[in-house]
Amino acid sequence: MSDATGVIHDIGYQRYTGPRLGRRQVFGALYLHGVRTVFGLGRSAKAKIFPWLVVSVVTVVAAGVTAVRSQIGEVVMTYAQFADAMSWLVIFFAAVAAPELVSRDLRSGVLPLYFSRPLPRGDYALSKLLALVTALWLLLGGPQLVMFLGAAFTTNRGVRGVWDELLDLLPGLLYAGLWAVVFASIALLVASLTGKRAFAAGGIVAVFLMTTPVVGVLSILPSRTINELAFVASPPTLVGGVGNWALGDRLTQGRGGMPIGDFGPVYAAVAVLLVAACVSLLLLRYRKVAAR
Amino acid sequence: MSTVTWITARGLFGRSRFLMLLPLPLILIGLAVLCRSLGVDPGQWGPPVLVGLGLAVVLPVVALIEGTGVLGAEIDDGTVVHILTKPLPRWQIVLPKLAVAAGVTAVTVGVPIYVAGVLADSVRLGLALVVASAAGALAYSALFLALSLVTRRPVLLGLVYVLIWEGLLGRFVSGTRVLSIQQWVIALADRMAPTPLLGTSVSVPVAAVLTALVAVGFTVLAIDRLRSFSVAGETS
Repeated sequence: MSDATGVIHDIGYQRYTGPRLGRRQVFGALYLHGVRTVFGLGRSAKAKIFPWLVVSVVTVVAAGVTAVRSQIGEVVMTYAQFADAMSWLVIFFAAVAAPELVSRDLRSGVLPLYFSRPLPRGDYALSKLLALVTALWLLLGGPQLVMFLGAAFTTNRGVRGVWDELLDLLPGLLYAGLWAVVFASIALLVASLTGKRAFAAGGIVAVFLMTTPVVGVLSILPSRTINELAFVASPPTLVGGVGNWALGDRLTQGRGGMPIGDFGPVYAAVAVLLVAACVSLLLLRYRKVAAR
Repeated sequence: MSTVTWITARGLFGRSRFLMLLPLPLILIGLAVLCRSLGVDPGQWGPPVLVGLGLAVVLPVVALIEGTGVLGAEIDDGTVVHILTKPLPRWQIVLPKLAVAAGVTAVTVGVPIYVAGVLADSVRLGLALVVASAAGALAYSALFLALSLVTRRPVLLGLVYVLIWEGLLGRFVSGTRVLSIQQWVIALADRMAPTPLLGTSVSVPVAAVLTALVAVGFTVLAIDRLRSFSVAGETS
């Protein structure tokens, strides 16, 4: 045996000595990545089909409503009614977006990589939730802005008219935010339960769809109390009830609201409880998520 | 009962997956029983429960999950290769899978809608709803099974059909109802048991012919697609 002739060459590996970004930057990066994921930005054309299909349909409807209003002068939909009318598309959008955000990570088993960073488990879930809320809010808020611009440029009462229109828009945007929070928390919770995007999408739609007829049945039962509380049973009508109570006339502009009687605070409490329950279940889910 | 049938059924029901199918039918039965026991007029609760929940939600959603699940799940997992490499004609793969999907859907929807139909009106309405929804289950399953071979995102495309075409457009644009499986099912059920509870603008012969056409056509399409099927990775 000859003597050891091996040599360790210095091929110039260096340790990273620059600044290390902390938790907040990780959160921000994950959030931004989440919002981009939802709209398919930075991904293949196939990933853009469904999100942008929904976005374009919603925008076209808003443009149509604006055109009718500027030509005939008749308000087809208020900002809040626009959000209500688009509820099925919002459900579909949530069913597209939520599985993309969380189910893919579960399926491809990359969560250990995420959690080996200075990223608490709750932050992962919350950043995804925030991304979905933002995306849903943009989905509803963008077309509302289109409607506002259309109304503002065709008003014949000058600055006064624009200001009035803005006062109508702001509650509408707030209402859209309410939609976004409620829908995002439910959809993300359902999606985080399965790694299969197909099942996640089906589950989200099933949850939203099967509760809607329950409202229809409850509101014809022979009891006034149950009738006025019926809208609690389904997320879309629950949001409608809360908006009706909190923003009242500014939302409906005297076009008949929901018959919720004096139960407004109950609706608000149920909405808050629902969101809180979904978020805490989501956090609980990511405390012990399988690493595969 | 072929091995493919057996594998497919086990893939759908294995472990506790069959539990996922329970909530929808239970809500349907629960609402019907609740309305009946409180003595609400069937003319009022019939349409929202039978059509609004049963035929417009439970039937398409269950068919969507089953129809895309029988083949789509295997394509997603990549295990479809194991079946494709067996010396089986393609129709012997598609037909058993379609039978399982349609059968499971028909049973899952048929039982609760029979109960609801009997509570709403009569045994005759219940049986009519069962037969019509079984035909609908076959048409939906064939459609969604073919979708899972034509595209990589069958569930989303199926949801576009169920939510936007049948749900949104069907409500506002009456012309699209002619091409809606949901309306065909309603028309067929209404023909077999005429009641004021069900109503549609689609004529019965059109509905029957189109249902058969969709069921056969999409099955043939699925067999044809599976003949030249290329296994690819997950969509990006």
